[in-house]
Order: sequence, then C-alpha cells, then structure tokens
Amino acid sequence: MWSDLTNLLYQAYEQYSFLPLFIEIALFFIFIAIFATIFAYGVILFRRWKGYVHDKRMKFIRPKVEEMITEQVLINENLEQIPVEEIEFDQAAINDKIFKKPWVRQVVIDILIQYRKNFRGEVGELLRKLYIDMNLTKDSFEKMKSLKWERKIKAVVELTQMDVQISDVTILPLTNSTNPSLRAAARNAYIQLSKNEPFKFFDVATEPILPWDQLELFRIITTTKDIAIPNFSRWVSYSTNKSVVSFCLKLIAHYDQQTAIPAVMDLLNNKDHYFRANAINCLGKLGAEAAEDRLTKIYATQPIHCQLEILKALGRIASGNNLEFLKNEFLFSSNFDVRMAAARSIIKHNTPASRAMVEDLRATTYEENKLIISHCLNPLIKH
Amino acid sequence: MTTILIIEDDDIMLKAVRNILTKAGYNVLTAKDGKEAFDKMENCEYDIVITDLMMPYANGLEVVSRLRSDSTKRHVSIIVVSSVGNEETITEAFRLGADDYLKKPIMAGELLIRLRKLIENRSTSNLKLVTKKK
Amino acid sequence: MRSFAYFFSQGTFWDVMGDFYQKAVFIYGTSLLMAYGLLAIMSLVAIRRYIKKNTIVDINIIVESPLAPGISVIAPAFNESVTIVQNVRSLLTFNYPKFEVIIVNDGSTDDTLDKLIDEFELVQVDYAFREKLNCEPIKRVFKSLNSAYTKLIVIDKVNGKSKADASNAGINLSSYDYFLCTDVDCILEKNTLIKLIKPFMDEETTKIKEVGEPCMECGFQHIKEDYRKVIAVGATLRMVNSCEVDEGLITRVKPPQKLLPRFQEMEYIRAFVLGKMGWDFINAVPNVSGGLGMFDKDVAIKAGGYDSKSFGEDMDLITRMGSYMRVHDRKYAVRYVPETLCWTEGPTTLKVFGRQRSRWSRGLAQIMSIHRRILFNPRFGRLGLIVFPYNFFFELLAPLIEFFGILYYIYLIYTHQINWPYAIILIIFVYTYSVMITTLALLWDQITFKYYKKWSEVIGLCFMAFLEPFVYHPLILFFALKGYFNFITGRKHVWGNMQRQGFGNQPKKDTEMKAA
Repeated sequence: MWSDLTNLLYQAYEQYSFLPLFIEIALFFIFIAIFATIFAYGVILFRRWKGYVHDKRMKFIRPKVEEMITEQVLINENLEQIPVEEIEFDQAAINDKIFKKPWVRQVVIDILIQYRKNFRGEVGELLRKLYIDMNLTKDSFEKMKSLKWERKIKAVVELTQMDVQISDVTILPLTNSTNPSLRAAARNAYIQLSKNEPFKFFDVATEPILPWDQLELFRIITTTKDIAIPNFSRWVSYSTNKSVVSFCLKLIAHYDQQTAIPAVMDLLNNKDHYFRANAINCLGKLGAEAAEDRLTKIYATQPIHCQLEILKALGRIASGNNLEFLKNEFLFSSNFDVRMAAARSIIKHNTPASRAMVEDLRATTYEENKLIISHCLNPLIKH
Repeated sequence: MTTILIIEDDDIMLKAVRNILTKAGYNVLTAKDGKEAFDKMENCEYDIVITDLMMPYANGLEVVSRLRSDSTKRHVSIIVVSSVGNEETITEAFRLGADDYLKKPIMAGELLIRLRKLIENRSTSNLKLVTKKK
Repeated sequence: MRSFAYFFSQGTFWDVMGDFYQKAVFIYGTSLLMAYGLLAIMSLVAIRRYIKKNTIVDINIIVESPLAPGISVIAPAFNESVTIVQNVRSLLTFNYPKFEVIIVNDGSTDDTLDKLIDEFELVQVDYAFREKLNCEPIKRVFKSLNSAYTKLIVIDKVNGKSKADASNAGINLSSYDYFLCTDVDCILEKNTLIKLIKPFMDEETTKIKEVGEPCMECGFQHIKEDYRKVIAVGATLRMVNSCEVDEGLITRVKPPQKLLPRFQEMEYIRAFVLGKMGWDFINAVPNVSGGLGMFDKDVAIKAGGYDSKSFGEDMDLITRMGSYMRVHDRKYAVRYVPETLCWTEGPTTLKVFGRQRSRWSRGLAQIMSIHRRILFNPRFGRLGLIVFPYNFFFELLAPLIEFFGILYYIYLIYTHQINWPYAIILIIFVYTYSVMITTLALLWDQITFKYYKKWSEVIGLCFMAFLEPFVYHPLILFFALKGYFNFITGRKHVWGNMQRQGFGNQPKKDTEMKAA
C-alpha cells in the first residue's frame, strides 16, 4: 500500500520533470494557491471563533467588574467622609476568586483606566488605591519586562494613568528607544511621574517630538498637578531640536510666559520660515507690545505666510500703534489674504479709533474690500 | 425630588454618573445618544440636564439650543460635561444658555456641589417668578 | 482564399508571432500574479503594523487638545433632497474638536437647498473669498443663525457637471489647513477625522536641514525639507446597500444581499485592504478614492486642485500633488488606513454599474495620457518608477491583453492547435490563484476588524471569490474596454441618474444622483 503510493508519487514527479517549464511553474502555484486558500479559511475560522469567545467572556465579566468598582469606589460610603488613604475596601469583594485570573485582571485594569479618564479628585484617588490594593501594579510591571514593545507601552501607559512611580533607571533608557511609540509613551511617563526634574529630557531629546505625541505631552504638562512649570524660554534659546523649540513656543503661549518674549524675539532671525512663523504667532498670543516694532520692520522682507502671521499678531497685540500700518496693508496690498488678515486685525482692536477706521474704510473703499470688511464683521462667520 | 437627565455616549461614564447621582438622592434618567436624548427631552419631566458635547446623532450644543428655544423647558438647568478643551466650543455652550461647564475628568464632589447650587438658585428664582405673577 | 488559410495555419511568420505572444502573455500574466502575491504580503505587514501602533493609542487625546489641527469637511450635494438633512446632521457630529462642514449645493434642481435652509436656520451672508481654484460661479453662501450649527457653511453654486468642480468651490471657501473630501450620501464613521488626521501627525523620520545660499528675494536662507510630508490620507470604503442604517449612522454592517453589489464589496475589500495597504507599505499609494480622502490643502491648491474635465479626478489630483512635491524636491507620502470609515451605495443595476466602470477606465486612460511624461521618469521617484509602470502595465493594458488573449485562444481552438491539458492546467492556475488572493484579502480584512457579525455573512462573501472569474470579471473587462473605446473616440460622457434606494427607515422615494 505504502509502496504503491510512493510509486505513484515518484511517477508523478517523473512526469512532472518532463513538463515544459511554464507548466511546472503553473502546477507549483496551483498547489500553493489551494493550500493557501484552505489555510486562510482555517485562520478566518479560528479568529472568528476566538473573537466569539472573547466577546462572550467580556459580556460575562465586564458587568461584574463594573459592579465591583461601582460598589467599592463610586458609591463608597466613606468617600468624602474620611481621607482616601484611610478608606478600606471590602477585602472579600476585591479578592474574589474571579479576580485572580490574569485575563480578568487585565480587564479590571482597562476598566479602571476608563474610569480614571472620567474622574479625578477623590474618586480618582480611590480608583488608584483600588489598583494598588488589588496588587495590579505587579501585573503592569510584569508586562514591562516583556520583549514586545507593544506590551511595554501598555505597561507604561497603565502605570502612568494610575500615577504609579516607575524608577528613572527603568524609564529613562526607554525615552530614547528606537521605537517612536515606545519613546513617546516613556517620555509622557517620565514627565508625569518624575518628581525632581520632569523636563530634563527636553535637554537630551535628539529625536523629533512628532505632532501627535505633542498632544499627549501637552495634556500631561497642562493637567498634572504639582508639576513645576519651568521657564520654557530656556529651550527656545538653547535647544537644537526644532520640534522641542516649536513645542516650547506653544507652551509659552499657553502659560503666557511674558519673560520669554526676548528669547522668542531672537527666533525672528532664524532662517527657517516655518519656525519664524511659529515665533511670530507666539509673540502675538503673548500680546508682546515690545515686539511690534520689530515685526513691522521685518514685515517687508518676509515670505507670505510669515506676513500673514505678523498681521495676525498685530491684531492680537492690539496696541493701537499700528492701525495705520494695517490700514495701508488693507488698502494697498495686492494679495487677497493679506487684505483679509489686515481687516481682521483692525477689527480685532475693537477700540473707538479702530471702529472709526473700519467705518471710514467701509465708506470709502471699493467693492471687494467692502465685502472683506462685512465678512470679518459678521458674527456668524468665524474665520 | 429633583430629576436629572444625563446625556452621555460613554457607557462607563453614564453608568458611573448615574450611580453617583442616585446615591446622592436624585431621580435619574439617562440617554446614550442624541436621538434618545431628544426623545426623552420631549417626553419626560426633568429639572436638570447633564450633557456631553460629542455623541452620535446630535451634538451637545444642539441639546442646549433645543432646550432653550422651547418655552415649556425654561426652568431646566443645563450642565455641560465634556473633555473638549477647545475654548470656542465652551463659550458657544454658554452663549446658547448652558448654566455650567465641567471639564472631564470631573470631580464627583464638585458635580454634586454645583448641582445643589443650581437647585438652590432655581428655587429662589422660581419664587420670584411666582411672586411676580401674584 | 485557400492560400490565405494555408498561410494562417502553417505560415512560419504566424507561428513565430504566436509563440512569441504566448510566451509574452505567460510572463506578463505570471508577473501580474506575482505582483498580487507581493502586495498581499506587504499589505499584511502594513496592516499588522497599523494595528500594533493604534490599538494602544488613545485616539480621544486629540479631542480634548487645543493643538488639534482644523479640518474642513467638503461634501458636494446634487439633488439629494431625501437624505440631505440627516446626512448633514451626521456630518456635524464628528468626534473632533475643530472642524467645519462645507456643503456645496451643486445647482440642485430639487428642494435640497430649501430643506437645508429650513432645518438649519440658514441665512445668506456676505462671504469674501478668493478663487484659488477654478470653479463655476458661487451664487450664495449661507450660515446658520443657530450657534449650535456654527460649523456649517452651505454654498449654492452653478452646476459644474462634476464633483471636481463642486469640490474646488468648497476648497476655495475652506479655512483650515486640511480638507476632507467626501460625498454627501456617504456614511462616515464618527471617528473618521481623528483616524485620518493621525497619519499626517505621526509620520516618522521628520528631519529638517538647512542648505543653500540665502534667497535672492527675501534675504533668508531657505530650508530644504528633508522629511516626508504626508499629503493625503485615505481609508477603506464599503457598500452600504444592505447595512442597517439609522439616521445617517451605521448600526450593523452587512454585506450586500444582491449579487452585483456583493461582488463590489468583495472587490473593494481586495482593492483597499490588499491593494492600497500593500502600496502603503512601500509608500507608493497610487490613488486616494473619491469617496473619502483627507488632503493637505496647501499642496492640493498648489497642484491646481481637482480637474473638472478629468474622468478620474481623484487619481488625477493625487498624481498632480505627487508630481508637484517631486518637482520641488520634497519627499512625500500618501497614507492609507485599513479601517473602513466610509460606506457608500454601490450601483445595483448593470446599466449604472457599467457606466461607472467605463468612466473609471476612461479616467485611467486619460491620466496615463495626460501625465505620460511621468512614466519611467526617475525624476518622479516612486511615482514614475513604481506607481505609473504598475498602473500602465497591469491596470491599463490588462483588459486589452486579456481581450486579445481570448481572441487568440479562440483562434487556437478553432484551428485545433491547442494543447488541451496544458491549457486547462493554465486556466486552473489562474483560477486558483485569483481565489487565493481574494480569500487572503478577506482574511486580512477580518484581521483588521470583525465587521460582520454572522458567520454566514463572511462565508457568503468568500463564496463570491469562486464565482468572480466567471461572472463579475467578464463584466469588468467589457466595461473597461468600452471605457477605452469612449476615450479613443472622445465620446461625451452622459451623466447618468441613479435611482437612490434611500437607507434605513427613510421612505422609498425616487431621487436622482450622479452615477459615481
């Protein structure tokens, strides 16, 4: 029987080797294709089954976890009555057999994080205490040791969300990881958790901070309590990492750091157009009257998008000193966008002088400019 | 008893706020999207609305604007709860007639205090209305 | 007469030609199939990378951030009276902090505009704008008195007979740096804006270096941007035909029940999940589909916006944006998101379907002839050396080669020259291979997201892979050839009207729309 089969195969092979090349190739691929198709069906089947099991498990476990958290935290009798540190959980409830399984513990962590995103204050603190009391920190630190970067990130994110200290030795090497996602997560954790010098990595960051990562970074910097906000002009002057500088410009504007104005004005000499535009934008948001003269002086030599930023900045500063300048730009510029920006900035002044100017312009100028003014004055139009 | 309508598309948050408010002794109605919200706004009695800004079918601003344009719902107070950090949107909410704004993550204690305050204010202003009529 | 037949059957010239053709076709066919195989592998890597990168990310971070870039959503509408209000409503509920919705009423002849005015309390405003892109005159601009709808702008313009023209009008009025192009009758997922803006913001290898002499005009040294700028991002499309839709929101995804749209669903999955994602992996995405795409406004305007004369305006725009970047020596990328963010109604009748397909292939032929200087031009980098050659050989020429191949086959059969066993083996080869590719595409799709709830739905879709070569493929071949014929003869394209079914609980009412 067996020899028959091998014989058959051998014969088939012998015949196969006599076939023309293109038929051999075709036969080979027919075999591959049939195998791959069957394999693909197998994988689809397996994945759907796994997904089904997962859904079913979630359906079963989520309400239980939510109920436990609701009882222990949200409607805890002691909440706001005694300090959070002194609140004790019902040991029987949180040490339930069901919460021993690793996958259930992961679900608990995920749900706790969702709650933490919605609640701060006492409830937030108590959620954190639950995380620690259930010894979920151990699970997170376990993941940290994983070789897979996505698991490492998950660990870092969990610990950061729960405000659990990660030692500098563990986290600092990760801030310069070659994997951008891991790098970003580590950076965020470092800023939020480092007690003494949270902004230290600005000094050493060699890789760019991507715009997407800036979102999270900005949120952490602006919402973490007891974070010491430094004077960001330091990095504006000395950092060679452009993304750090432009990010600092945004922070300076957000914290209205007036002392940074000279450092930001130094950037007006920078060779990069986009950089200069960012600096001008920042000066405008700071309402830097001291910069006005410089801005109008360099105006003529700037490329268009910097010019627009200057006009916008003059409107934000709104000192009234440059109304004539804006008026001239509005009346004589050949560029539509410039006229639009100038008109907006005049209107933004909103002083008696500027209002008179707007009325005057409206009465005397030609049709298109009139349209620009009524566009900018219309409260229904925001841009 | 004061009835509160919570409009929120995040399931976790909706349940959590519902539990907290129920425990604090309020009567709670919930809606998980714009459609359900409009439905309940029409057909139920409530005194305070707590609404999110972004959800399916409608946005929170529409909820506010609809409540404020309905003369039978004048007495309803509105608290906007959202994670939106965009100042324009918040100003817009107030302009449309929202009474208060809380940014997520919220403090449960703060929410309760603000609710209490709104209810107190309302009862005094209602009193005024009543006396005027007389 | 006899000598003629003799020449045909035994003449050496035709033997040599036939032999040459046979070999060329075999090599061509094998390399086409290999290309598909390669795409399948590359797309799997790209999809896995995307999933790894994005499951751990909290996309809502952008919602609360003041740093979120603004996006203008542009949706042209032509005679969409039945669904306009709920679709605009659903466009206004995107999960995003900073966006505007620009509805371009492209000279509708029904009450589309009136419905919008009534529902959203619109008033006409004086709107100053500059026509950066060509379009038919804009008659009026509307804004809402109700500040719950501040995000909405409605434009009433003269019908420009194309989506391109209407989109250009929208771009002219948009005020943010990015714009999203879609159709008002498409149903979009509420996180669409977040998911499409993300690739713009996390493109890696961002580095800038200073080079060269100070500029003659402004006195400053210019910057050579040595980073890859993302100029456009697209996402997967799917058929809405049998999905459960409730007031402009998908509540349950189902593959279409009717055969024709179901074939299209399968084809879309293959083209997007397997095709576009594969190209994404080597940064050579040829096209961002017209149904849904986000673009960098600055580059789009500099490249000249949409061409209203083009039959494939979406691919035309991407080609021009890409060549603009290359001409200015800047690196760029077009990215694709493997998740389905847009559901569109696929044609259900052969007539409309045929018109759509003929138009697509005509568009391709047009683009290839307009931009022929890009083909094999190393100056255009990947665009000239990968995207264009692939499209030229395997998209443009494929129907022609296939058509002549069939003719040749028939001739061989007729003259009894065919080696039947070999022919059958070759046919089985092509058939099994095409089934494999489609099945893999469906598998990749299941990996990305478990769209369909039921088993039977997935199987129903997989089944299409077996039928496709006999039923659907010949249709596509026929309509593609018809499109080429129209291209060569320069026949005017008739703007067809498609009977809209209306989704969900909408009453069935006949309205018209442009066929794709």
